[in-house]
Amino acid sequence: MSAEAVLVRKGAYYDSVQLMRVSRALSGTPGVAAAMVAMATELNVSVIRDLGFTVPEACPGDLLIAVRADDPEAAVAEADRQLTTLQRPGAAAEQPPLTTWSAAAGEPAGLVLVSVPGEHAFCEAYDAVMAGLPVMVFSDGVPVELERRLKELAEERDVLVMGPDCGTASIGGVGLGFANVLAPGPVGVVAASGTGAQQVTSLLDWAGTGVSHILGVGGRDLSAEVGGLSTLRALRMLDEDPATELIVLVSKPPAPEVARAVEEAVAGLRTPVVPALLPAPDSGASGGANLTKATEQALRTLGRPVPEWPSWVAAPQTPRKTLKGIYSGGTLSLEAAAVAGQGDIVDYGDDAYTRGRAHPMIDPTLRLEALARTGETDVVLLDVVLGHGADPDPAAALAPAVARTSAAVVVALVGTRGDPQDLQRQAAAFRDAGAAVFLSNAQAARHARSLV
Amino acid sequence: MSPLSTPSRVITVGAGLLDEALAAQAVPTTPVDWRPPLPGTAEALVKVLGDPRRQAANELAADRLTSARPHLVGVRRAAEVLPRGTFLHAGPPITWERASGPMRGALIGAMLLEGLAADEHDAAARLAAGEVALRPCHEHAAVGPMAGVVSPSMWLFEVRDEEHGGTAYCSLNEGLGKVLRYGAYGPEVLERLRWMAAVLGPALAAALERTGPIDLRSLIAQALQMGDELHNRNRAATSLLLRELAPAVVEAAPGEAAQVLRFINGNDHFFLNAGMAAAKVSTDAARGIPGSTMVVAMARNGTDFGVQVSGLGGRWFTGPAGVPDGLYLGTYGPEDANPDIGDSTITETSGLGGFAMAASPAIVRFVGGEVADAVRATRSMYEITLAEHPAYQIPGLGFRGTPVGIDVTLVARTGLLPVVNTGIAGRIAGTGQVGAGLVKPPAEAFTSALLALAEAVSDPF
Amino acid sequence: MTVSTHARRTRVHVTGAASTAVRSVLESPRRPARVLAVFPAGVYLEVRTETEPSVIAVITGEATRLPNSVLLAGPLPHVTVGDDAYVGDRAVDLGPLSLRVRRWWDPAPPLGPIDRARLAGAAAILTRPSDPAPGLAGNGAVASLAAACAKGWLLGAVSAAEQLVGLGPGLTPSGDDVLAALLVTLRHLGTATGAERAVWLADWLAATVTYDARTRTTPLSATLLHCAARGEASPELLAVLRGIAGGQALEPALRRLRRLGHTSGADLAQGVAIGVGAVLALGGQR
Repeated sequence: MSAEAVLVRKGAYYDSVQLMRVSRALSGTPGVAAAMVAMATELNVSVIRDLGFTVPEACPGDLLIAVRADDPEAAVAEADRQLTTLQRPGAAAEQPPLTTWSAAAGEPAGLVLVSVPGEHAFCEAYDAVMAGLPVMVFSDGVPVELERRLKELAEERDVLVMGPDCGTASIGGVGLGFANVLAPGPVGVVAASGTGAQQVTSLLDWAGTGVSHILGVGGRDLSAEVGGLSTLRALRMLDEDPATELIVLVSKPPAPEVARAVEEAVAGLRTPVVPALLPAPDSGASGGANLTKATEQALRTLGRPVPEWPSWVAAPQTPRKTLKGIYSGGTLSLEAAAVAGQGDIVDYGDDAYTRGRAHPMIDPTLRLEALARTGETDVVLLDVVLGHGADPDPAAALAPAVARTSAAVVVALVGTRGDPQDLQRQAAAFRDAGAAVFLSNAQAARHARSLV
Repeated sequence: MSPLSTPSRVITVGAGLLDEALAAQAVPTTPVDWRPPLPGTAEALVKVLGDPRRQAANELAADRLTSARPHLVGVRRAAEVLPRGTFLHAGPPITWERASGPMRGALIGAMLLEGLAADEHDAAARLAAGEVALRPCHEHAAVGPMAGVVSPSMWLFEVRDEEHGGTAYCSLNEGLGKVLRYGAYGPEVLERLRWMAAVLGPALAAALERTGPIDLRSLIAQALQMGDELHNRNRAATSLLLRELAPAVVEAAPGEAAQVLRFINGNDHFFLNAGMAAAKVSTDAARGIPGSTMVVAMARNGTDFGVQVSGLGGRWFTGPAGVPDGLYLGTYGPEDANPDIGDSTITETSGLGGFAMAASPAIVRFVGGEVADAVRATRSMYEITLAEHPAYQIPGLGFRGTPVGIDVTLVARTGLLPVVNTGIAGRIAGTGQVGAGLVKPPAEAFTSALLALAEAVSDPF
Repeated sequence: MTVSTHARRTRVHVTGAASTAVRSVLESPRRPARVLAVFPAGVYLEVRTETEPSVIAVITGEATRLPNSVLLAGPLPHVTVGDDAYVGDRAVDLGPLSLRVRRWWDPAPPLGPIDRARLAGAAAILTRPSDPAPGLAGNGAVASLAAACAKGWLLGAVSAAEQLVGLGPGLTPSGDDVLAALLVTLRHLGTATGAERAVWLADWLAATVTYDARTRTTPLSATLLHCAARGEASPELLAVLRGIAGGQALEPALRRLRRLGHTSGADLAQGVAIGVGAVLALGGQR
């Protein structure tokens, strides 16, 4: 007979990925029917309610522990034990830095990576800029006026701010955030979109062409408010970088005045620039430019052959009625929508789904639920992104769900052969589950369209 | 623009997963042990950090604080410094109605000492009627330990900052046990105060005329290396001061020299008051710098704990004074303790006291019992301070300078409150000291200062 | 770190970074190797292969990142000379560890254009007497090498180089260090200043010293000569080249280089100095 317990811990903070791990471990404990340990954000509270729990009054800064188990007390104790082990054990006299300011005063560093909740990210990024260190702000939800302020300060201090909401970067081979394992090479990428950069560099890697740096700028950099400050700086930095022979500029449609500034800057560079302009959300644009085409153009500009992009297709599928996109990458979902020109493509990596919980590239829960809602009249288009920071084995959770659904499934698998998840093994797992797998998202979308 | 190159080390703040991904690439990282800021401060923090004046203002404030060169230049009667009809007291402003037991006791004692009341009831009545104006020491370039009451006939140390030219005052230390600063006002207390006014004060004044200014910066630096933290342990500093003064006292007041020197020698805390004046003159040098978020005073009146910030002039930001957690004398216990009291937190404000605990293994009992606790206490204070003191160094930390210059924004961001060592006064007027220990300042004093700083940002973006 | 049970014994999966110089051997099918030498911060593996690099250095963060290195994110395993190991199929199996690469670095990054005035300034700094002195200070073959290179006289340079391969004691004999640094310097600075004769000289010299290096010097040193032939070097040496190019301060970089090994760093610095002299002298000739 199982019983429930829901506890509120006031003001106890943990990051969402850590909590996801605790929830996962707890759910797997014998005698535990359901468990969720999460910050009490609106979304998490509703998820816990959906699990059938009654949730007491709590604010987003509080920790919620909800368990349904044979012995809920023991389960809560286990949750507490797991939470305690998350606290870094410090040596008796060692004081870990509590702020970026303090860390920057310690051992010399070359970069700061900020991934605290968005409302607090400015302070940490500010410390980095004031210490003269380039900073990548992975956090999303930073107000745009703070982004502008941060980038103005960075101009004064002559440093690069990547982000906010910069999911992917790579500097001198060091992968930051969600980046793939890439060999060094001649292509530098300036990207307003993390998954866009991952698609381009993964395709380049397949073609045997390496990457010098990926400089993320954040999705709003080219807006009128921010004025493209980071994009312009990143372009100059890559132009001066001896290892970079060609720049791919992955961007969303810029504000007109910013577009002019970027065009002028590009014209003044010695290094050729290949633009990969993504369609605007809801623009209805289809066909035209996409990331795969931009990658092909980059290869041609370098005088290198364009290979056949790989696919792993099990059996031919019969035509279906509707196209459903279940995406984790925002840019990939926009590209899919533009290429497919139809269907209902949802980006589960959007702020609305990620506040207070881990990104769908790490936590498959929301996408598994969405997959379970699909049926035999559907074509499902799914992106699976590999690389540093991503789910260590996305096929483990997603492939069985793909096998269970009666929908026809098409997977855009973004990754490299060097990635920790093993590209070939992931591709095989999805193919064996009945999906058609493509390294190119545009090709995946085209294939999905052909099935409708 | 520095060229793009592989970062030798990455500072990571936030998700542990992203730190682990770097470690897996054999990239060294410095993970920040981040926690959310104190509740209600997130917006103000952004505003204050974004204030373009702040960095330069804080650099200037920390530089002025740490470059001050306090010298003991004299001892003079409080009447020369005090406005007429005024007593000074510790902490932020307080009225008789809100004053705690020891504060009332000390004020009664001062009334009796000055002959302004017939007895304690009369004194209380006159104080309640407002016959004497009560003003904070801090408003008159002074500091006072515990109740910190200063009345005209008392004598004060006079300390001058030879670097920036400021002057600060602090009363003479009466010793331990039943003393006015702990709110005792019995006959023996008043008798001692009269002797101090009649003999000790004039003798010290004459002696200091012979020695000339005594360099307290160097004396404090030496005492730190001899095991003092200069708040709850002043044994080395007192000995060093006595060594400086003794020959001059003998020459200046041969008749009373033995009494005077015996009195100083009998009180391990004799230096505390001189050290407090040194701290006060140093922190005062950092006052009034627009945009600076550095704390220039922390002080308690037994009811409220108040802080003042360089960029906000003389405004006080207060919260309820807490009851210290510590060791009690004899049969006293926490129920006998008064909430935190005294201006002696000026030592922590200037990078001494609790901030220098690691220098003082002899008194680690106050911070949990182990030397490692003392080291941890000091190390943690680097997280909320702007600078390391160039002269005040801690041998056990490889002669690292003490953490100095509390930044309100860092307190709010880390949730780490200043470590304060303190004596504990009895709750009932007239009891005196009941113990000593650590006290936790109220977070709201710092958060309200931060909110005021945010309002004062002239150029919000 | 995860532990899994393979057919015969428990393997600990670890990750790290590697120089792209070893990428081909790592991505080839799995081959046997053996432990050649063990140091506190590094283990050298000799891979059974005809291609270079045949020696791979498995190192920790404290070691010099030789161009044939794989850098472990954790500590080295306890292994002894002669132990079996395997390299290939994207992994290095060493003792209980199975190591996979999560990051690649370029041991021969391009420098970008440099003007000759900078080069002349750097030459003056590089030719000052150094402490420690190079292992072959005053050696006639080194002087002949420098003279022949400056004249672009291939036969003279080749004869001098042949005398220097394997000359000196230790894992990386001084003669090899001088030659390796010379090859790297000629190639990078020759390219960066547009001195085609210097690059041409690097090509021919490289062909000479790598031709029979495996039989004339230690296996590690032979691999490093092969790397140098392609312009691949350690970060300390590359930092000096960047210092010459103006990308960073030269003198601190030079001091760090000279501190390497017993005289290894000083030998490398000597090779750089000879290379800079040659590039300056050959720069005018097209």
